[in-house]
Parts: sequence; structure tokens; C-alpha cells
Amino acid sequence: MKADTNQFPELDKTKFEQRGTEFKLGIPVTNAVTLGNSIAVGFGDGTVRIFTSGESSEPIKAHKGIVLCMSKDGDNILTGGDDGRFLNISLDGKINEIGNFGTRWVDHVTANNGSLVCSSGNIVYLWSPNHKEPKLFEHNSTIGGIAFDAKGRRLAVSRYGGVTLWKKDYSNKWNSSELNWKGSHNKVIFSPDGKYLVTSMQENQLHFWRLKDKIDSAMSGYGAKIKSFAFVDDSKYLATSGAKEAVCWPFDGDGPVGREPICLPYVGNKLVTFVEPFPNENAILTGLSDGSVFLSEIEKASNTIIIRSFTEFEVSAIAVTKDCSHLLIGDMGGNILWTSIWDEEKK
Amino acid sequence: MEETNKQVPVTVLTGFLGAGKTTLLNRILTEQHGKKYAVIVNEFGEQGIDNDLVVDADEEVFEMNNGCICCTVRGDLIRILSGLMKRADKLDAIIVETTGLADPAPVAQTFFVDQDVADRTKLDAIVTVADAVHLSSQLTDHHEAEEQIAFADVVLLNKIDLVDESGLEAVKERIRKINPFAKIINTTKCGVSLNEILNLDAFSLKRVLDVEPDFLTSDHDHEHDDDVTSLSFVSDTPLDMEKFQDWFSKLLQTKGQDILRTKGILDFTGESDRYVFQGVHMLMDASPMGKWPEGKERSSRLVFIGRNLESMNLKEGFENCKSA
Repeated sequence: MKADTNQFPELDKTKFEQRGTEFKLGIPVTNAVTLGNSIAVGFGDGTVRIFTSGESSEPIKAHKGIVLCMSKDGDNILTGGDDGRFLNISLDGKINEIGNFGTRWVDHVTANNGSLVCSSGNIVYLWSPNHKEPKLFEHNSTIGGIAFDAKGRRLAVSRYGGVTLWKKDYSNKWNSSELNWKGSHNKVIFSPDGKYLVTSMQENQLHFWRLKDKIDSAMSGYGAKIKSFAFVDDSKYLATSGAKEAVCWPFDGDGPVGREPICLPYVGNKLVTFVEPFPNENAILTGLSDGSVFLSEIEKASNTIIIRSFTEFEVSAIAVTKDCSHLLIGDMGGNILWTSIWDEEKK
Repeated sequence: MEETNKQVPVTVLTGFLGAGKTTLLNRILTEQHGKKYAVIVNEFGEQGIDNDLVVDADEEVFEMNNGCICCTVRGDLIRILSGLMKRADKLDAIIVETTGLADPAPVAQTFFVDQDVADRTKLDAIVTVADAVHLSSQLTDHHEAEEQIAFADVVLLNKIDLVDESGLEAVKERIRKINPFAKIINTTKCGVSLNEILNLDAFSLKRVLDVEPDFLTSDHDHEHDDDVTSLSFVSDTPLDMEKFQDWFSKLLQTKGQDILRTKGILDFTGESDRYVFQGVHMLMDASPMGKWPEGKERSSRLVFIGRNLESMNLKEGFENCKSA
């Protein structure tokens, strides 16, 4: 840098920002979901927008206040909102109300093979295909998270004091068993291979159960609540937010007990707020509290590249298109970056 | 200062069923034109609430695994406040209406313990609506009624038209005995100027400096052991910081369950700043708050509200902290 340059030079844009499209919408991004080569984004004003090939659809007015949660059902989007509605939205913006719980929020939504599931308060509601009335699964506290396993035969429901595991037998009857651990459990996920169940807790830690023998353990040492975590490269690593590094726990072999996680550091020393596995690779996209986003190979941290420079707003969503050609980044300041991942000539 | 502006104030309305909480809530919502409020309610359906942003919740008290034996938080508040902070439009304030039998401690502790909640919102004040006719018997029969008075920054003594003067004085005396720093406002039908209950910033350390508790000289002989009472101490002799910290941290560790609230302004030997703290059970917010005002006497003041205070040798403990 020369001595006579501007005291506050414009920061260089990354090559991804240069070739991508930026949207400054000013509305907090709450969720993003991949639908083929489109990405649906939920916002803090209750709208949903579909991004395709660097273009945004008109905002779809889905909820009154906030799109609290999002998932997908085939080619459609599922949303839950602070207006108590559970919606199914098609890519062309047609809204179908599945459930309405009034002043009770719809906190979590998911789907598997046409079965649509949401939670509101302490009840999970499951609509089987072609059923008008939902089946109710009641729990002892407000539900922190819900997740199907890959086959859709097990539904994990996290709550205060642990996880309730609902299993469908071959006569399609659901039976529950309890996995208990003191404290309040939030988000829950299965490992893609179905061997593990992981929750994040109100305390700054995660908890996991190995399902075959119910062995469980805490993963702790975080400086903040873990809002985002995901399995990478099938089930080899669990990548987690909540620290100033992306903390990746090994889940291959006998799992993480007694083993050290790989910690991926980033310039700026900011809190990791979002992690998204890069499909089919042993790599993650990491979003930080200052808006910057990096792509890292877990076992080769030196191969980290910067995707987006800082925006000052915490990264709240990252999604990659199904063909792995493009990605979308959203933050709490309502900034969105849509960019191609590969250089044109490498395509 | 800038940080404070970003935090949305949260007012907590407590009080027994029928005291007039919903009347007060509807007054706030209809009289504050042009302001955007979110209201979190737990006794939905009893009386309509006139607001387009009403969130229905269950009061869920969660224990934390943070080594603090009496540390409980309100899980529903963490979930809803974190959700509300994702809204595109900024809220002017959030009002939480608790059920009649709610303990205010977990509500207050939530703002100490959850980092997301503490970053984005702040507890503005606990306002307790009390029924002048029934409060005395409620205090005798229910621990929760005592706790709601003990935690209050403002007690709205409602329905005063239904008691005579001596009855009113007796109930006020009872309130003051439990909580000498709550402001008592007499009302009928919750008719109170809203700036007396909103935007009070009662949990900020700065406000502790304004507190002039009614120091009680009366003895506590007539109390039952588990009645909530308060004790205050003043010292013109500077305190030894190390001794004080040693005594006070041990006290909270061992008696934190019985000590509901503490507030204090401390004069430490060799320190030019005033030290201010306020706490809820075992959780404490403390900081130096600038120099002592010039020309004024320096002194330390300490107030406890809790149960079984007489058994804690507080006077002796405090005396021992004085610099030799």
C-alpha cells in the first residue's frame, strides 16, 4: 500500500463478490433452503424469495412477522412463522396453509416422503400423505428441534431434559423412547449414516448419543451458544459454530470420545455463527459474526479461501445449489450474495 | 451508551390473578400511540388483549448446568425474545405478563445468563400489580406473592378505593418491610402515568445510584423465619475490597437461595471510584461507576431482600469488611 492512498480504502472485493450478484435488502435473513438449482430464502418480515441464476423472485408474503423456520417437501418450501401458520409454498409462489396455531409460534418444520411435520409449543404435528388431520405427539416441554433420520422411520424431538425418539414400526405405529440428559436441548440432527443423534444445548455445548448402545457424551469448550452445526462428508465430521474457530469433531470409527476436534481458524478472530457442509466434499463453508464467509477443507486448513469479505452483520444462512455450481450467503443485515463457485473456464 | 440504544427494553408485569395486570397492559397498549410493542402472555383468554403482536407462551423454568445451584431461567422467554430480534422492524418495547403464581427470579436471571438475550434486550423493570384489598392475605398464604413484591421495582397498589385509610397504610407498611426500594404507586383501575412504569432502566447500575431506600429502623421480631424481609447497612468507614469480596462471594454461594435481591454502592479504601452492584440470587452485575461526587461524604450502602436474613450474621460480616 502506498503512503498517499486514501486513509480508508475500499476493501477489495473477493473474486466471488466481483462475479456474483449482491442484494442489499435490509431485512434480516432467517433461513435458506436449496431446491434444485434455486435457493429459497426466508426473511424477518415474513416474506420468502426464490433466488435462481442470480435473480430474485418477487417477495412472497408468507407470514405476518417472521419466517421462523424453513424446510422442503419435494420441490416445495415448508415454512413456520410467528403468525402461528405452517405453510407449504410452491416455487411459483402459491401458498397452501397446512396448519394454523394462532398466537402460538410454529418453531420447527420438516418433511419426509410426503409426511409434513411441524412443532408448536410442546406438540409435534404430523400430517401423513393424504391425511387431512394431523397426528399429535405431545412432550413435557416446548420443543427445541425436530429431525427425521434419512429413512423417515425415526423422528427425534429435542426438549428440556433430553430427546424423545419416535420410531415407526412396520404397522406404521409410532412408539417413543427417551434419551435423557439434564438441561435444555435445542436443535437436533441425525448423522447421515443414522448412527448418532446430536443436540445443541442452552449451555454452550453439544450433546450426542450413539444410538446402537445409547452411549452419550457432551462436547464442550465453546464461548457461545452453538446455533449452527452439521455433518460433513457423509458422517465423517461434525462441523460446529459457537467458537472463534470452526470446531470439527471426528465421527468416523468409534466417534469423538477421547479424540480431539480439528479447529479451523479464520482471520479476524470473530465468532463462527454458521457452518454449511460443502456437498460431497470433506469441506465446509463457514460464516462469521462480521459477515465474512470462508471455504475450508477440514483436513487441510491451509486450503482455506475467502468467499465474502465482511459486512458487519452476522452470517445467518448459507446454501449451495444441488449441482454445486452456485452458493448463496445471507446475513442479519439483509445482505445477500449469489455467486458461482467455480471459475468460468473450469466449468 | 450506543449499545444500550440497541437493546429493546423489556417490562415484566407480575401480580396475582385479578389484581389488574391485564387492565394495565391494555392501558399501555392503547395509550402509547405509534409505538410498536410485542406482548408475551401466559394467561391467554382471560381478558382480550388489544395488540396485533401477542405471543402465547408457557412459563417454562429451566435449570442451568452452570454450577450456580439456584440458577433457573425462563426457556420460553429465551426462545421468544431471540425470535423477536429477527424481526425486520424494530420494536419499541416488549412486555411480559406473568401468571399470578410466577416467581420473578427466573425471569430476571434470564437477562443475566443468556448472552443473546442480554445482547439484544434489557430488563427495564419488574412492575407488580397488587390488589390493596387482598394483598395482605396473599402475602400470608403464598410465597409467590412475597417474591413478586420482593422483586418489584414498582408496586402498583391497585383498587385503593376499596380499602380505608388505615388499611391502606397497613398494606403499604407490609410492602415496605419486604422491599424498601420499590416505588409504591396508589391507583384505582391502574390509573397511572405510563412514564412511571415504562423506560425506568431499573436494572442498570446507574439507577442503583439513585436508590434511596426507606431504611427501616424497626426490628424484625414479629416475622416468621421464612417471611421475606429486608436489611440495610451503611458505613462511613471505607471497606477493604479483598475482605468484602471474600465475605460477599461466600455469602452468595452459601445463602444465594435465600437472598432474593441485593443492591449496593461501595466505598473501598484507596479507590477513587464508586463501586456499584445489583444482584438476583447468586447472579451479580457490578462495576465501578465513576468518581464520588466532590464535596459529598463517601459512604457504603448495602441492601438485602430475602428470607432468613437474621440468621446470616450480615451485620457482623459487613462490619468485618471495614478497613482497619
